[in-house]
Amino acid sequence: MDRIIEIKDLKKEYKMGKVTVPALNGVDIEIYEGEFLAIMGPSGSGKSTLMHIIGCLDTASSGTYFFNNEEVSKIKKRKLAVIRNEQVGFVFQTFNLLPHLNIQKNVELPLTYAGYSKKKRVALARKVLDEVGLSDRLKHKPSELSGGQRQRVAIARALVNSPSVILADEPTGNLDTASGSDILTIFSDLNYKGNTIIIVTHDPAVAKRANRVIKIVDGLIQNGDIS
Amino acid sequence: MAISLKESIIVGLSDFWSRKIRSLVTIVGIVLGTMSIIVVLSLVKGINKKTLEWMMERGGLSKISVYRNWNYEKQVDVKNYFTLKEINLIRSLVPEAKYFNPQIREGVHYSYGENKYRGSIYGVIPDFKKIEEWDVEAGRFISGFDIKQNSDVIVIGTNVKEELFGNKKAVGQFITAGKRRVQIIGVMSHRFMDNSGNIGNDNALAYLNRRAFVPLSTMIHKGTGRDRINSFTVKAKDAESAPELRQKLEAIILNLRFGEPVFTIESAQEEAEKMAENAKKFRIIFFLISAISLLVGGIVIMNIMLASIQERTREIGIRLTVGARRIDIFVQFLVQTILVTTIGGILGIVSGLSILDIVSKYLNIKLIAGFSMMIIAITVSAGIGFIFGISPAIKASKLDPVVALRHE
Ligand SMILES: Nc1ncnc2c1ncn2[C@@H]1O[C@H](COP(=O)(O)OP(=O)(O)O)[C@@H](O)[C@H]1O
Ligand SMILES: [Mg+2]
Repeated sequence: MDRIIEIKDLKKEYKMGKVTVPALNGVDIEIYEGEFLAIMGPSGSGKSTLMHIIGCLDTASSGTYFFNNEEVSKIKKRKLAVIRNEQVGFVFQTFNLLPHLNIQKNVELPLTYAGYSKKKRVALARKVLDEVGLSDRLKHKPSELSGGQRQRVAIARALVNSPSVILADEPTGNLDTASGSDILTIFSDLNYKGNTIIIVTHDPAVAKRANRVIKIVDGLIQNGDIS
Repeated sequence: MAISLKESIIVGLSDFWSRKIRSLVTIVGIVLGTMSIIVVLSLVKGINKKTLEWMMERGGLSKISVYRNWNYEKQVDVKNYFTLKEINLIRSLVPEAKYFNPQIREGVHYSYGENKYRGSIYGVIPDFKKIEEWDVEAGRFISGFDIKQNSDVIVIGTNVKEELFGNKKAVGQFITAGKRRVQIIGVMSHRFMDNSGNIGNDNALAYLNRRAFVPLSTMIHKGTGRDRINSFTVKAKDAESAPELRQKLEAIILNLRFGEPVFTIESAQEEAEKMAENAKKFRIIFFLISAISLLVGGIVIMNIMLASIQERTREIGIRLTVGARRIDIFVQFLVQTILVTTIGGILGIVSGLSILDIVSKYLNIKLIAGFSMMIIAITVSAGIGFIFGISPAIKASKLDPVVALRHE
């Protein structure tokens, strides 16, 4: 299996005026293509920070990060936008859909920035919305959908440009048990089809579906990998 | 690898639409600014055009008029009229004047059988016809012979003719004008100038059709009986030489009246020049005023856009997450501001046009906003959007995606 992500001694601190808040204190991880990795840990332990760095939304304070064998700190900002667009699909706890766009348009968004034609965008968006079971809701606004449905839209949006990795930060955190379980099933299916998935969660049930679980406490990976 | 302009426009429009009330408030300044550009420029243009047209109808730009200065408050005992002797003197001093017509006005009652009419009668000489470029439609005008003979003849306007004779032939008939019996020798041609409006008279020259003309000598010796000439008109060789002739006449007349400005001496050419000059000044002042209102409008929009970025931080974070580059965000916000101000400009033009419609009916002037004016108005409002959209667009494009995503 190809290694998609290689992180060594990664540190991140936030500067708030004169105070520096350490969020990551030397993280090492390797993630391979096709994995379903769960990251667990208490609130404030640095999980979201790590996800943002992996997804090229944020940069580390020190350490090295290779994404698809390219050192991210050496990549130009403009190229990072391309990576976020083509290589990474993000799913958030709070869905993060654009409220004034209908769900088809929300899913088209990454393709818009990729410069796809309208026809191609519509076709691809419909295809992934069909995969998550929402082909009958294309013209609905996010506010007209349930939480579980909204998260499925977010997953469709993450998937639509065929990224090499899907990052999900507590995707079931705002959902009831039943819809949360539906969402996890979708992730399992996606992983079964070959998608690489990294999921942050508090939920032990999630961890059971993953093929590897790592625990993070105070910005540090605990006692190595738990396989 | 970029969001297209069309996409930006669609995003901008849907955003504008989803905040209708706020958007409308935002563009009030721009709407008023462009509206006043359209209204005032067309108004100035329309009034000037109308005045010039009227001047052309009343003898053209080479005409000079001398009449009593109504603003002059009498301080010294000088005559506010000319005697025939003075008129002859003045005429001899300006041989370069092509035509010269002294005149006296008198209000009279006419009657022809049962029909009666009241109007102004003017004592004139044959030059009148040349100066006013106005001829008869039937019969003939007053001749030099009539002047010499103090003939009891009259030339009437079409309105007088209609009131007294209806459809019947007037030339050759005798009527009573004041206390005298006079014979009609001609009917002046009908004068008309479109007043294009619904209120008041459609014909700006209707008053001319109500006039009648007799030989000046007849008027002095048999009519008023007084040697008092109120006014005269002169025609210069051409429009270019009119201002010089006017100056000369002014000097002569001032001299005759011991330096007292008892008379107004006016050249159509100079009036037209003054008018153009005033219009230019007016336009400049007006451009400054609308520029200020547009600038204020622009500043308002800039601040509202800056505030809306605060509100839309999360949206920007989401867009950055799914692959928007900073330039995409920049363009999106810039295009949106330009769109808002352009919509403002278009609304300004539309409301300006409807105001022009009302004003032109009210003033009886044809007011047409030129296509170029509209282009200017739209370009200016789009330009305002561009200038004042840059700072909000930069602010939006500089947001840190992580901070933006954590923003509540
Ligand atoms: N933008 C920020 N500025 C300052 N401190 C931050 C910022 N983001 C996160 N932190 C801090 O970094 C630590 C890790 O946060 P986070 O990665 O959100 O943890 P988790 O997702 O595991 O709850 C916390 O102490 C948090 O307060
Ligand atoms: Mg978190």
